[in-house]
Amino acid sequence: MPKPKSRRAKQPRGAKPAVVPGGGPSVRSFWSGTITFGLVSIPVDLFSAVRPRQTAMKLVDKSGHALGRQYHCSKEGTKLDGDDLVRGYETDGKMVEITDDDFASVAPEMSSDIELRNFVPLEQIPSLYFQKPYFLAPAGKSAKAYHLLAATMESTGRVGIGSFVMRGHEYLVAIVSDNGVMRADTLRYADEVRTPESIGLPKRSKEAAKMADQFVKDIEALTRAELDISELQDNEAQALQELVKEKQKNKANVIEESGLEEADPESGDGAKIIDLMAVLRKSLSKGAVVTNARGGAPVDLAERRAQKKATSTRKAPKKKAARSPATKRARSG
Amino acid sequence: MAARAIWKGSIELGKHQVAVKMYSAVEDRTIHFRMLHRKDDAPVEQHIVRKDTGKDVAKEDLRKAFALSKGTAVILEPADLEKLIPPQSRDIHLCRFVAPSVVGDQWYDRPYYLGPDGDDESYFALVHALERKKVIGIARWVMRKKQYVGALSELNGYLALATLRRAEQVLSFSGIEPAKTAKPHANELKLGEQLVSSIAADFDPQLWQNDYRQRLIKLIEAKARGEKPARHVPKKVKPQASLADSLRASIAAAKEKKVA
Repeated sequence: MPKPKSRRAKQPRGAKPAVVPGGGPSVRSFWSGTITFGLVSIPVDLFSAVRPRQTAMKLVDKSGHALGRQYHCSKEGTKLDGDDLVRGYETDGKMVEITDDDFASVAPEMSSDIELRNFVPLEQIPSLYFQKPYFLAPAGKSAKAYHLLAATMESTGRVGIGSFVMRGHEYLVAIVSDNGVMRADTLRYADEVRTPESIGLPKRSKEAAKMADQFVKDIEALTRAELDISELQDNEAQALQELVKEKQKNKANVIEESGLEEADPESGDGAKIIDLMAVLRKSLSKGAVVTNARGGAPVDLAERRAQKKATSTRKAPKKKAARSPATKRARSG
Repeated sequence: MAARAIWKGSIELGKHQVAVKMYSAVEDRTIHFRMLHRKDDAPVEQHIVRKDTGKDVAKEDLRKAFALSKGTAVILEPADLEKLIPPQSRDIHLCRFVAPSVVGDQWYDRPYYLGPDGDDESYFALVHALERKKVIGIARWVMRKKQYVGALSELNGYLALATLRRAEQVLSFSGIEPAKTAKPHANELKLGEQLVSSIAADFDPQLWQNDYRQRLIKLIEAKARGEKPARHVPKKVKPQASLADSLRASIAAAKEKKVA
């Protein structure tokens, strides 16, 4: 969805050359800032630690023409540009218009700090709080402080809790050290997490004791020390890719790819982890190896495509850049 | 208010089945806006159009294409997509059980609670067994024509099933060996540990609020009443010093805070 007018999030201090000459928002969807705890500060760059699934599809018509989304006024039926749009919120049957200035007036302070307020035992954070992981790489001359914080958290078994502002949103975050690499894992807020009581699950009643014993035996029989990656792989994506390759071999429905738009606007996340390996190798350790859990190197064709696309979008006019996931997220509270 | 179940399934374990209802464990607090035409505040409609002609495309002519390398893509016909739909099933199949620490946070995607569906005794027997063994189950199931991978665990005395990211999505590192100049000294590590323990605490999510969301709600309410909302004024602070000095100063400050 294109954003109405330009409600560009101000870039935090010290951010990478994020603003394109045209004044549009960044297409490099990572964040630069500083971890602070006590009086120590560690400049870091942030990269997505997960790749999108390889199932994203493009929107076309029967004969393969590139399609796009166009907004029309429901009253006048006229075509609308980004500048014609404004956000509204319906409350008590009344539509309230929320302008760019309104959003700006409540925006979080443009801080580029992740201030760690306390260090908590990792196992105390229930898994249902974890939302999205990002890798942190030391920026500038912060390698030593970075390694110090990572080593300290690993030796104490604690993780830093803090909050930070990214793309005009405030995130609660756990700074976790994993094998010498720090991650910023965003967390859900307490009011976003339901409890068994709020769901209305029945009170714990008597269990079938014999069955519990049987379950214990069944669980023991299936308990292993490690994960089996084949149990976690994306069978759907593989089936899709096989089908597509088969069709390509038979020259069925093969079309030109240029200018196609994502069928699911939310899935356009592909540009996120460009040169991740190079960046982390350079800033963390020359011997660093990046793999995905399946063992493959993370840079594959799909990402090279994303990279190519990102390079071309960087020069794109304002309106196109406005479709980046960054601004989409900035839309909501 | 009790939540509504979004799906019903059956956990398969050994010779037994435990019928469960699935509930989202997260509440969407996002403030959703409608896109309006600035001129007349009428809601906008989204049309799918051809990029070259700008003409509307009928729904039955819409297709999805999967992009391949070398600038080509393959159109998937409805019959192709049909082929990709997994067989329908209510089974939640358990592949294996592992210690919770084996599955890192970065795997966790969307959390759900499972509640009993008619047979509370079996349900709580499974809760009890998971509590006793302190393990989580790696599960696979098909829900609404899609395949899922998940982690079955005991949570707050109930069963939880979180979807996991796929193996292809999760990136990991090895071979991280800091350069000599970047290796912290033993005394710095000690200071670091002191500092961490000086602000050590228990995890208390209630301490953190999404202030931005609160301000946005207040703003909307004020505007609905026809008032002009007050402007939020940001604050700013910034310390900077050498690593060891900063560590020492921070520990001193943290100690002072504790006494006060």
